[in-house]
Amino acid sequence: MITERLKKIICDALEIETSDVEIDDETIASQVPGWDSLNHVNVITAIEQDFGVKFKGIEVLKCKNVGDLQNLVNSKIS
Amino acid sequence: MFNIDFSKIGDLLLYDQYDPLLFGSSLFLFLFFGFLLFYRIFAKSKNTRILLILFFSLYFYYKASGLLLLVLVFSAVFNFFFGKWLFNTKGDSRRRMILIFNVFINLGLLAYFKYTNFFVELINDLQIGQLDPLDLLMPIGISFYTFKSMNYVLDIYLESMEPTKSFRDFCVFVFFFPNILAGPIDRASQFLPQVESDLVISREDIGKALLLIMSGLIKKIVIADYLSLNFIDRVFDEPLRFSGIENLFAMYSYGLQIYCDFSGYSDIAIGIALLMGFKLMDNFNSPYQATSIADFWRRWHISLSTWLLDYLFRPVQMKFRNLKIYGNVIALMVTFILCGFWHGASWMFIFWGFLHGVFMSVSLFLQKPKKKLYKAIKLTNTRVLKFGQVFVTFHLLIFSWLFFRVQELSTIGDIFNQIFSFFKPSVLPQFIAGYTPTFVILILGYVLHFLPESLENKTVSILSRMNPVIQGIILAAVIWLCAQVQSAELQPFIYFQF
Repeated sequence: MITERLKKIICDALEIETSDVEIDDETIASQVPGWDSLNHVNVITAIEQDFGVKFKGIEVLKCKNVGDLQNLVNSKIS
Repeated sequence: MFNIDFSKIGDLLLYDQYDPLLFGSSLFLFLFFGFLLFYRIFAKSKNTRILLILFFSLYFYYKASGLLLLVLVFSAVFNFFFGKWLFNTKGDSRRRMILIFNVFINLGLLAYFKYTNFFVELINDLQIGQLDPLDLLMPIGISFYTFKSMNYVLDIYLESMEPTKSFRDFCVFVFFFPNILAGPIDRASQFLPQVESDLVISREDIGKALLLIMSGLIKKIVIADYLSLNFIDRVFDEPLRFSGIENLFAMYSYGLQIYCDFSGYSDIAIGIALLMGFKLMDNFNSPYQATSIADFWRRWHISLSTWLLDYLFRPVQMKFRNLKIYGNVIALMVTFILCGFWHGASWMFIFWGFLHGVFMSVSLFLQKPKKKLYKAIKLTNTRVLKFGQVFVTFHLLIFSWLFFRVQELSTIGDIFNQIFSFFKPSVLPQFIAGYTPTFVILILGYVLHFLPESLENKTVSILSRMNPVIQGIILAAVIWLCAQVQSAELQPFIYFQF
């Protein structure tokens, strides 16, 4: 289950309102307005900064949806 | 009554590097209809069906490559067992080592056949040493099937899929004749489940397949080959003999030729696969309707662009993510330069890739200012803006294709010299009168390209509802039309050289 905090970080990085978009565990990048391959890096660095964590490249590449990203964050902060 | 020379039939069926089984050739059509007949007879027997695909695919490849077929077989064996090994290996560093070794062998083979002489020439030019070029024959389609096999191992590494237990199924994926020579570079995760599923071909599939095969033949023979043989080659061979306006039209024509040549091949490949119950990934989506270069790459050679995005751009982007926008620029430049190099061992292709990398990088920096400007002058989401974006993108693409077509930079200089100093718009009526069919095909080709997608869906729906006899008559009529327009032997597909 994705947290409001993660949702807000993603929306802030993409400069969209949280109320304008539905994001859940199964959501993939292409379903979110503005989350294209170039903006992807802004989303990832924003998550790393906000949670104070550092991902390995391969860990991010293995994430298929926002749920995977949330699990990755959880595994880093726990 | 019939005086048949059987030795000639034998020769016709044997390997001939100058006479591969081109889609659209009468030999291919004859053999494919025979294949399809048996394929449908054994529709219920999965094993026989799969064996038929393997047999026909291997023959199809042998006809174009002879003994270099062994390289293809090696690629299948090597990647199948590496996929298994990688999946059963625990530990990040060991998995990484296995992947690096796999990529090294795959790309090493590709580099050996495709790039050895390029590097030999480079060493000689830089006077580092004096080497003789090797007498190498490149296995046709090696760039395509290497990338196709690699995505299987890469997806297992990224844990996007599990390896197949069946070597036979994996061979069907690698050898599959519709896409082996020039793509689409299909994904194992999408293809492999289809091998094991029952043969189901809906009426809509048949309608879509027919439309794709017919449009592919028309694109290739009526548009690409006709424009190339009757106009483009003449101008590009000696641009100084033609006025600026003719050079400009040759540039527009080449943009249409390369699109019709390559997407025509993809259309036929996807259509043939559909008739066999396989759905290959889309490879083109009206690329000249793109509103930016980034949009173009979402519409052009989609199977390659998504491959490069997933397995090259993203890893490089992640590596340099701390550099923010500059990290993106590095990833873009690396991806596009290698994309150019993938197309061929020549500086022109590298420069073509570099140019696309520059286009993409510049637009990255202009993204925010452009957004602000469009908002300020109230152009956001307007038709005028869309038209302007399509117009500018189209001309950037037409310019970049020059590097794809010419052998030497000086030819581009000659073309622009003619356009800027000898434009001569007054020769336009003469040009239209002298090259009427070329002009009509050029205009018609672009008009068809800009038609809405809904029209295509409607045509599929009409074709699907037709009686099979009528469908056969329409297909025969299109083949007949192509045969009438064909002014010479079917020209090799441009993308075969890659």
